[in-house]
Amino acid sequence: MKYTLLLLILCASFATVSCNNEDWLERDPKNIITDEQLWNDPQLITSLLANYYDRLPTFHGVFNTGGMTEIDDAMWSGHFDQNWRNDFQYGYDYGRYWDYTFIRDINLALDNIETFSTEIGDEQKNLFTSELRFIRAFVYFELVKRMGGVPLVTEQLIYDFGGDPEYLQIPRSKEHEVYDFIYSELETIKSDLQANNGSQTRANEFTALALESRAMLYAASIAKYNNLMDTPINLPGGEVGIPAEMAKDYYEKSLQASQSILQDGGYALYDENPDKQANFYEMMMNKGNAEVIFAKDYVNSLKTHGFTFENIPRSLTEDNEYPSNLTPSLNLVESFDYLDGGEGSLNITDASGDPIVYEDINGIFANKDARLYGTVIYPGTTFKSAPVKMQAGVAVWNDSDYELLASQDLGSNYSDEGLWTGADGPQDNTQFVSNTGFYARKFLSDAPGASLRGVASENWWPWFRLGEIYLNAAEAAFELNQEGVATTYINTLRERAGFPENSITDLNIEDIRKERRVELAFEDHRYFDLKRWRIAHEVWDGDINNEDAAVFALFPYRIVRPGHPDNNKYIFNKFTPTRFRRARFFRLGNYYASIDQGVLNNNPKLVRNPFH
Amino acid sequence: MKKKWLYLLTLTFAASLVSCELDNIDAPSARLEGNVVYEGENLNVRSNSAQLELWQDGYALNEFIPVFIAQDGSYSASLFNGEYKLVRKGGDPWLPQLNDTIIVQVNGNTLLDVPVTPYFTIKNEAYSISGNTISATFDVNQIVDSSVLQEVVIVLGESVLVDENIQDAIARYSADTINIDSSTSLSIEIPENMRDLEYLFIRTALKSNSSNEYIYTNSYRLEL
Repeated sequence: MKYTLLLLILCASFATVSCNNEDWLERDPKNIITDEQLWNDPQLITSLLANYYDRLPTFHGVFNTGGMTEIDDAMWSGHFDQNWRNDFQYGYDYGRYWDYTFIRDINLALDNIETFSTEIGDEQKNLFTSELRFIRAFVYFELVKRMGGVPLVTEQLIYDFGGDPEYLQIPRSKEHEVYDFIYSELETIKSDLQANNGSQTRANEFTALALESRAMLYAASIAKYNNLMDTPINLPGGEVGIPAEMAKDYYEKSLQASQSILQDGGYALYDENPDKQANFYEMMMNKGNAEVIFAKDYVNSLKTHGFTFENIPRSLTEDNEYPSNLTPSLNLVESFDYLDGGEGSLNITDASGDPIVYEDINGIFANKDARLYGTVIYPGTTFKSAPVKMQAGVAVWNDSDYELLASQDLGSNYSDEGLWTGADGPQDNTQFVSNTGFYARKFLSDAPGASLRGVASENWWPWFRLGEIYLNAAEAAFELNQEGVATTYINTLRERAGFPENSITDLNIEDIRKERRVELAFEDHRYFDLKRWRIAHEVWDGDINNEDAAVFALFPYRIVRPGHPDNNKYIFNKFTPTRFRRARFFRLGNYYASIDQGVLNNNPKLVRNPFH
Repeated sequence: MKKKWLYLLTLTFAASLVSCELDNIDAPSARLEGNVVYEGENLNVRSNSAQLELWQDGYALNEFIPVFIAQDGSYSASLFNGEYKLVRKGGDPWLPQLNDTIIVQVNGNTLLDVPVTPYFTIKNEAYSISGNTISATFDVNQIVDSSVLQEVVIVLGESVLVDENIQDAIARYSADTINIDSSTSLSIEIPENMRDLEYLFIRTALKSNSSNEYIYTNSYRLEL
């Protein structure tokens, strides 16, 4: 009885405690963020945006060493296992890109911000929305560059389980419709992006204009040059190919966007260092400088990249293996003009075919465009204020001509006590030492520990910089018959590279193309430039003797000829490296990558690209 | 003890019976082969370039079978018996016929010559050596009127696989040196490093503006 009473009291006391507090059951979960929370908290939205910015697509940019050796003026000198990069043919799927997962994520985010964001101000809401739309336009630009016209999906596709998915099968848009979409999106959002002006890592008004400048230039040149081909690359539905009469309008749009950046952007060509050579290198490396419009940033404590580890000259590496992968070609080095205006071919042999003797190992590169130093490490230069020890071997005079002798041991001395083969090579048919006679300098960080895997590099990747805008403006102005304007832009850019004022007086399209090649080397432009000018199949014609399609090397040798005035001077030998096996070969079917068969099976309304 | 062994043996034997059953799909035993021809003659191409596509209907998902054409114009594919569709695609030195599918019934060994319409043909080649120069005589015929001849090349190589991309020496001639619909004679100098060989292989090829692949003569072994 006593117990029954106690039990009753106990039960009654439970009831008073448990009923009283309904909030206790209504707690927010600690491991789930709801849509309402996310879309009303600017900090959470920003961190979601960080993920989306990180996913911005690139082909072989953003420090992709291997990719650069496939499509830029360079070859792979790294591990033999990857020598296929020097011995392959662009397949029809080369460059394929079909990231509708990302497009869906963006569309979903846009819908959610519309539905759930009630507590943040309109201005902030518009900014986030515009950034998402900028990222979406960027993705569509990558899609149209590689695949031609693609399905334009701007909202979530949701299946209604009705048994007929046909309404979800969106056909490909015309190629020009995708470019028009990019243009109209950017025009709409650019004023809302003004809140970000001043930021170099989030999209602002001028980032939108920079993308517009580039995209419109691509559309214009496809419209013009595709139709100048003997057999233009078209599809009957316009999914590939842009009508020629649209070229003028696109060039005008591109020029207008470029000029607004040049006039109102507050950006300036980086020109801080009176040493023009170092200046060009610093321009890519110094963060926060006024030339860069939009960049992908890295920081040691959070997020790093291995470009310096992969590509630092062999003797300078702080790590113990795998340096010297990306090695630029002689052809790239020769495409840099001489500062006196002379065409850039190096003087290797004289008219009778005898090698020209140079007092200094870097004498052959004297008076070249300052950007050469900023892009390529060539013999006789320094990196991190340490000399790069490049010498392929010795040239021993045997009474009739020079015999070129190379040592297997890097850094060894010849029998005359002088250097035989330098610690940085170059060496033919070896790994982890340059096979071309050159190393990459652009993007190579000189920070302490940058070539260590454990520390790695934190220099950033500029997506857009003012140098490109000058080139875009020059090209568009030239195509619109404004030669005077175009010449001014090109010459301004060349002055920064050490050329005198008005170094080009009679501008032609070849000058502009060459300027793009040297200014923007390794910045993920060359492949797409050749494509949009429709000359890729002529430049990369698969002929191993064609210096544009094949990679050539230039090796320096020290003369051993005791008693002769040429003793201890230098001569150079040009040849095709043993490891470079197959010249670049770009077929007409490579202008647009093939669409995956799985994608075609899922959506019968898609048409294949030409030649596939 | 004895019983345990017996069980084990029986079990192993049973397992072996079962596992054989799983692999119940035979390897493809039929073969489709033939040549790519124009007016009954083989067309020669660059190795690893020209392709035909084979499709088979009746399955939920489509995936074509790429069939590479050897440099002498022959092709072959190992298949299952059944009905296939063969497509002549673009990018080769002949007219694409994407909508003009050839339906082929594969049953055992099936021979099928695939007719195509090349933009140009190059044939009746003859070579002669004098000193260090090889002269090539050949006939070029225009087949597709809208096409324009761009270039003729003569290539030399040390192995039988030789083309514009894989070669040891090449001579290029622009279109204005070529007589269309009649005979042309051109020459190539043997480079120094090949003069001591016992033999080399030679091919002549031409390119039109309609395709960036050349159409070739067959690889010819030339005794030096």
